[in-house]
Amino acid sequence: MGRYVVRRLLQMVPVFVGSTLLIFLMVNVMGDPVAGLCGERACDPATAAQLKREFGLDKPVWQQYLTYMGHLFTGDFGTAFNGQKVTELMGTAFPVTIRLTVVAILFEIVIGITLGVVTGLKRGRPVDTTVLLLTLVVISVPTFVTGLLLQLLLGVKWAWTRPSVSPDAPFGELIVPGLVLASVSLAYVTRLTRTSIAENKRADYVRTAVAKGLPRRRVITRHLLRNSLIPVVTFIGTDIGALMGGAIVTERIFNIHGVGYQLYQGILRQNTQTVVGFVTVLVLVFLVANLLVDLLYAVLDPRIRYA
Amino acid sequence: MPEQQPYEAGRAVAGTGMGGAMDLAASEATTLERAPGGPEGPGPGGFGPQGVGPAGRPRSLWSDAWRDLRRNPVFLLSALVILFLVFISLRPSAIASGNPLACDLAKAQDGSAPGHPFGYDGQGCDVFTRTVYGARTSVTVGVLATLGVSVFGSVLGGLAGYFGGLWDAVLSRITDVFFAIPVVLGGLVLLSVVTSNTVWPVIGFMVLLGWPQISRIARGSVITARQNDYVQAARALGASDARILLRHIAPNAVAPVIVVSTIALGTYIALEATLSYLGVGLKPPSVSWGIDISAASPYIRNAPHALLWPSGALAVTVLAFIMLGDAVRDALDPKLR
Amino acid sequence: MLLDVRDLHVEFHTRDGVAHAVNGVGYAVDAGQTLAVLGESGSGKSVTAQAVMGILDTPPGRITRGRILFRGRDLLTLKGEERRRIRGAGMAMIFQDALSALNPVMTVGDQLGEMFVVHRGASRRDARARAVELMERVRIPAAAQRVRDYPHQFSGGMRQRIMIAMALALEPALIIADEPTTALDVTVQAQVMDLLADLRREYRMGLILITHDLGVVADVADRIAVMYAGRIVETAPVHDLYKAPAHPYTRGLLDSIPRLGHKGRQLYAIKGLPPNLTHIPPGCSFHPRCPLARDVCRTEEPPLYEVSGERGSACHFWRECLDGLGH
Repeated sequence: MGRYVVRRLLQMVPVFVGSTLLIFLMVNVMGDPVAGLCGERACDPATAAQLKREFGLDKPVWQQYLTYMGHLFTGDFGTAFNGQKVTELMGTAFPVTIRLTVVAILFEIVIGITLGVVTGLKRGRPVDTTVLLLTLVVISVPTFVTGLLLQLLLGVKWAWTRPSVSPDAPFGELIVPGLVLASVSLAYVTRLTRTSIAENKRADYVRTAVAKGLPRRRVITRHLLRNSLIPVVTFIGTDIGALMGGAIVTERIFNIHGVGYQLYQGILRQNTQTVVGFVTVLVLVFLVANLLVDLLYAVLDPRIRYA
Repeated sequence: MPEQQPYEAGRAVAGTGMGGAMDLAASEATTLERAPGGPEGPGPGGFGPQGVGPAGRPRSLWSDAWRDLRRNPVFLLSALVILFLVFISLRPSAIASGNPLACDLAKAQDGSAPGHPFGYDGQGCDVFTRTVYGARTSVTVGVLATLGVSVFGSVLGGLAGYFGGLWDAVLSRITDVFFAIPVVLGGLVLLSVVTSNTVWPVIGFMVLLGWPQISRIARGSVITARQNDYVQAARALGASDARILLRHIAPNAVAPVIVVSTIALGTYIALEATLSYLGVGLKPPSVSWGIDISAASPYIRNAPHALLWPSGALAVTVLAFIMLGDAVRDALDPKLR
Repeated sequence: MLLDVRDLHVEFHTRDGVAHAVNGVGYAVDAGQTLAVLGESGSGKSVTAQAVMGILDTPPGRITRGRILFRGRDLLTLKGEERRRIRGAGMAMIFQDALSALNPVMTVGDQLGEMFVVHRGASRRDARARAVELMERVRIPAAAQRVRDYPHQFSGGMRQRIMIAMALALEPALIIADEPTTALDVTVQAQVMDLLADLRREYRMGLILITHDLGVVADVADRIAVMYAGRIVETAPVHDLYKAPAHPYTRGLLDSIPRLGHKGRQLYAIKGLPPNLTHIPPGCSFHPRCPLARDVCRTEEPPLYEVSGERGSACHFWRECLDGLGH
């Protein structure tokens, strides 16, 4: 196991370098990093050149990347052009997005798995067809439409919730945004659980469990669920990274000042250091979540042995 | 790497970082990778000689699937919706006589009026006309992005799966890199600096970030197909690589790619709208549902119709493609019958 | 009589129509007796067994007619909960492929112990101890350590022993073994079969042995029932049947066994394919493949004729068959 972890960590290095480099290139090469500094007008050439020297932007890109990564590993994510430290921005943004992600994951687990189990056991019945159709609709309606509609209905028309979230973003205010963020994944968890249950329901070991004279409840919980939920758990695990990175739309709709908000601002203002810094952390979260999921997989399924 | 390949393969696909719809299209399709071997799903108890219909006529995977699809109302309905969408993309003036760019601020946010069933948006443009014309953008982006992604992804993935070795290892790492970047985020970064206001940058971006998904599917199904006995036999008889790939492997490996591509088409349409909503996809004066939804969201209180009509059109379009893909997958996957 | 199945009919609703898997099967097993049920795949032998155990998938399966008397009670009239209590405790089943029949993510100890927890209300510790005991009983070496292992960590033969142990756990009166050795290596098959026979004697259980392998049957079984297209076509004491089959299908099966001393002679094969269960031929369902078939076979379904006190054959021409015609 130990050797496997080490090897996986080593494999993560090229992926990490590759994806951060990709983002770094996108931000630096395609955009003009000093363009956003002189307000609405374009900078005059002299000022631009001076600014570039100041930030080391006159050097070749690969050198900039190395310098940046070097700083990064000493915990220095650089400063945004407005002088605020990127780590400070992170300190306020990440807790908010993590809370939002936690709410979303809870929705996926509680609602998604429950619906999946029910439909998987009742395949072909009206409940199954209805839920299946519903999941298709949820998947088809883009998150920003779902978000705007829920905001319109719950926040404006019926006034059950506040249409936008206050800067502190306590858990209570994140319930609707969390549901919106989770919506598509939630539908997938339902479908994945359903498929998995329906497939395993016909498995030989389930038949054995019935032949052993176990009560139906025990057959389902001890034998069917334990096996069927393995792919679901791993899906939810890998979804953590995707949710945090995908929170941009949700955070924009509900005006949540989290990671997505900061990234959006950073991109609009072509704020290189902010964007690269945040993306780097998101990529790390994604990679670590994937590694943990792989290890969790070995725990859940004893047939998998990592060497 | 774990010892048991099949489990790892299933997991790896489920674990794509693309976020949203693309993940599960892929993970649900993994069951398909076993399908091309032929309809071998044993019926209850395994009756009679398998793979032979009641009339004793051997059935192929495709004719079997087509027989299923023709009788599937979900398939027929979604195919009908898609045909209609393609039609109004080609000839929007056939059902909407107005000009989508002709707006009258005096009528801003007005409700429906004779000849203007969907009412007016915040700029006083006719919502019906704009919704009809918006279909063209969505269908164009969806179809072209899917074509690009499928061709690019299946060629790269198929070759990697067939030849294996270093090429495969390098490609796998490259796909890992792309999977690690959240898709909306990548779109924001890349497209925020593009000034061209055509569909091409959006399509290019989708191909750039979408191909790894198809490449992974294609790689998996080529590896499965490669292990089939008839491929081994063809190789033993001295067939060339090109011939084996085109004649023996491609027809058997293409089913999962088609299914995932159809479902992905819907998600690309949604993605275009999302990017346009965020202000980096298409920009006015282009006509796109994403732009209209974005423009209508500040007036959500007073003129919800300006938001609801394009949203509804978008949802129905995406739904049609996803349902089509779903129906095709069910028809091609004998295991879940 | 321990188990008495009468006129059992089972059908499956499939996309291609209604498949008639079992069409009027009847057989009986007494305590301490071994009945071998012989037939090709699709002959309905496993479906009958599943119906007896009460583990038939319904839908698509449906029992349309018949009675299953177990110790005099008709199982088909029992409530679900009563039926469940009989499973595992009164009768148990051994499946063909132990690797897929055992839960991959549960230790064998937990799977064995579960029987005592559920049916006897044993504590976890107690159940664990009983599991070790059972594993020793089926001669698994180092049982005390291996009780914590998962099914995939055992060899095929050892896994099948665990299946047998699980069936024996509550000392049921009847065991149904569905091709218990088919998935095993030839060398291991004999060991597992011997073990099963020994244990059956020790516990005086009734045993239904489902197989398509005539070689296995001869040593173990008391009686044989041969099935074809969901019917019993011949039933007889083992030795009578081997000596002189009274049905052309049985004769075909016997003739297709390769034997020493027949070197150079062409091996016999029954011509044709087993029937499609959605379209079973009218009359005698075996007639399209039968060397003895005449006009009457195409129109009239043969009843199970009484050949002697202990034998039956569903062939209009069982006398000719007994006399050795139709080779």
